[in-house]
Amino acid sequence: MLSRTTADAAGSAGTLDRRVVLEATDLRKRYGDLEAVKGVSFRIHEGETFGLLGPNGAGKTTTISMVCGLLARDAGEVLLDGDPIDVGRVAAKAGIGYVPQELALYPDLTARENLAFFGGLYGLGGSALRSRIDDVLGTIGLADRSRERVDRFSGGMQRRLNIGIGLLHQPRLLLLDEPTVGVDPQSRNSILESIAELGRSGMAILYTTHYMEEAERLCDRIAIIDAGEIQAEGTRRELIGLIGGRDTIRLTATGDLSKAAEAARAVEGVVQVAAAEDALELVVVDARGLLPRLLAAIDALGANVRGVEIVEPDLEAVFLHLTGRALRDSAD
Amino acid sequence: MRHALLIAAKDLRQRVRDRSIILIAVVAPLGLAVIFSQLLAGATEFHADYVVADLDRGTVSTAFTSDVLGSLQASGVATIREVGSETEARAAVESEEADAAFIIPAGFSEAVGGGTSASISIYGATQSGLATSVAESVATRFGDGVAGIQLALAVAAELRGRALTLEEVGAIVGAASTADPPLELVDVDASLRQLSWTTYFSASMAILFLFFAAQVGIVSLFEERRGGTIARMLAGPISPSSILLGKAIGAFVTGALAMGVLIVATTLLIGAEWGPPLGVALVAGAGVLAAIGVATVVASFARTAETAGAASSAVAITLAIFGGSFTPVSQGPEIMATLSLLTPHAWILRGLADLHGGGAAVSDALLPVLVLVAIGLVTGGLGFARARRLVAIR
Repeated sequence: MLSRTTADAAGSAGTLDRRVVLEATDLRKRYGDLEAVKGVSFRIHEGETFGLLGPNGAGKTTTISMVCGLLARDAGEVLLDGDPIDVGRVAAKAGIGYVPQELALYPDLTARENLAFFGGLYGLGGSALRSRIDDVLGTIGLADRSRERVDRFSGGMQRRLNIGIGLLHQPRLLLLDEPTVGVDPQSRNSILESIAELGRSGMAILYTTHYMEEAERLCDRIAIIDAGEIQAEGTRRELIGLIGGRDTIRLTATGDLSKAAEAARAVEGVVQVAAAEDALELVVVDARGLLPRLLAAIDALGANVRGVEIVEPDLEAVFLHLTGRALRDSAD
Repeated sequence: MRHALLIAAKDLRQRVRDRSIILIAVVAPLGLAVIFSQLLAGATEFHADYVVADLDRGTVSTAFTSDVLGSLQASGVATIREVGSETEARAAVESEEADAAFIIPAGFSEAVGGGTSASISIYGATQSGLATSVAESVATRFGDGVAGIQLALAVAAELRGRALTLEEVGAIVGAASTADPPLELVDVDASLRQLSWTTYFSASMAILFLFFAAQVGIVSLFEERRGGTIARMLAGPISPSSILLGKAIGAFVTGALAMGVLIVATTLLIGAEWGPPLGVALVAGAGVLAAIGVATVVASFARTAETAGAASSAVAITLAIFGGSFTPVSQGPEIMATLSLLTPHAWILRGLADLHGGGAAVSDALLPVLVLVAIGLVTGGLGFARARRLVAIR
């Protein structure tokens, strides 16, 4: 078992004092000989976006399906605000908004009709339903196309509507299962902005993806999942810290760079310094925190810094470190 | 129940948007019913023009011309024109003014009264074979009656010990012709009642295509499962039973609406006579239930929407053939009539036929309605039980 951090253990700022919305404990699921999910546990707090990052086949969809009561689990427990969620507890599922990976829409109905149907199933009706439909259409940017049939929408618009249906009843927990698969970059950006806005509004979100950039951009905490197990969990910084938390700083400078290199070595946190003709390359711990002190030390020796480039390790590197495989290769 | 109704309402909205279901459930059966009824209109509306030459003018011949032929004219089956001689009668037939001629020879009534041989001649046009046959049947039937009267006259003469006078013969013939029949059939057995050709084709086409329309519930379950909307519903506060019930309600309303539109349209457009509205509604409603049940149980064995639709269609055609949707089972061998009882089609047609004829009441269709409801409940129950796998939590 690889090293693991948790929000609580690592003391991630801002989560300890917030209410736990979802608590999943020791979830397990087996399909014949294949153990698809092997004891997955995590918590999501109010206003927190929690990511499940892993390649296809890692167990993300199986996990999210057990969380929303769509899939019977072999073992484990799911609590939504303390209430058990299970396949047979139909009413308890009303607190969850589920956005499946596929476009679960009625293409021969309009966007408004799709929203009205699913809103009705969640108990909305009358003016409250109409008001929520208008709000959601505004959120997903489809207000001016609401009376068009969905089969005339672009893929990105259909994706946004797919998400909008999950938001309609203002769930306490929103589950998003790879919601940007197959979406063009422009639509993806629009979708990610909408989700980020939902997170800022205080909604608890469980977001599964195999796109590292999405997890880094959206998620307050991330669990890296592979082969049905959570390999590591924490904030982005905590996860990167698992591989030493070392960044690379490349300084383009003029002047006496050998003296500048000596000065840099003396700065606490600098691990390694290499001097080139017009640049210094430094391996450091916490580049962003270190940079002001580093620049001040170099500047005091008369070197003139013309450019700064920080190359931070990313989750791709963490995944590689944890599993021995590249995330992108696995995803593809 | 609220969830089921919402799902049914959504399905109906989709059906209305789906031109193909309107084509299958309404346009196609209506078009075929119109075509068939027009093609067979000439064959089904019999009318003959007859002339009669009564050279006897006696009591018995007058009874034939006024009572027997008069009733044919009154019922609209034939037009009767009286001529003064056999030559005129033959000329009318040869000139095609009449389809056939009844020629009653002089002395006909006296021969009947005397118990000797008496005959009515039929002179028919070769091109009017059916009209001539009908004329022969009418005369033969009257002849059978005359034989009975001759027997009555013989008995009377025997009892009185002398030959009867003409006045006595007339009195006995008159009494015989006006006497109540010893046994009157006031109704025919329901199984013998027949729909008109127009109504038959309207009903049979409606039933045939009803079975295609009835597939929509189960087929849409396959489609929604594939599309992910079933999973989306199950992830929310919606039970699998609500989804199945919603699909069943949607399919029933679709089928009932299709039948209703066809009943109204064929009544207004081609003059189909379906029968009393309440009885027709009961038979049609029970038929829709049976159609949904059969289509569902057949489709429930399929793995995809495409195979489900194909299997249901194949069964619908097969049942239609055996159930009398293309030709009345009464015109086929007896084994076909027996086999037809295994199909909902035959029971629907029988239920509608039971609502026809003098004195028919809604209760006459009770047996077919009960059979159809039983078929619907048994097959539908089995079908939707099997279809639970389509809405099952994995």
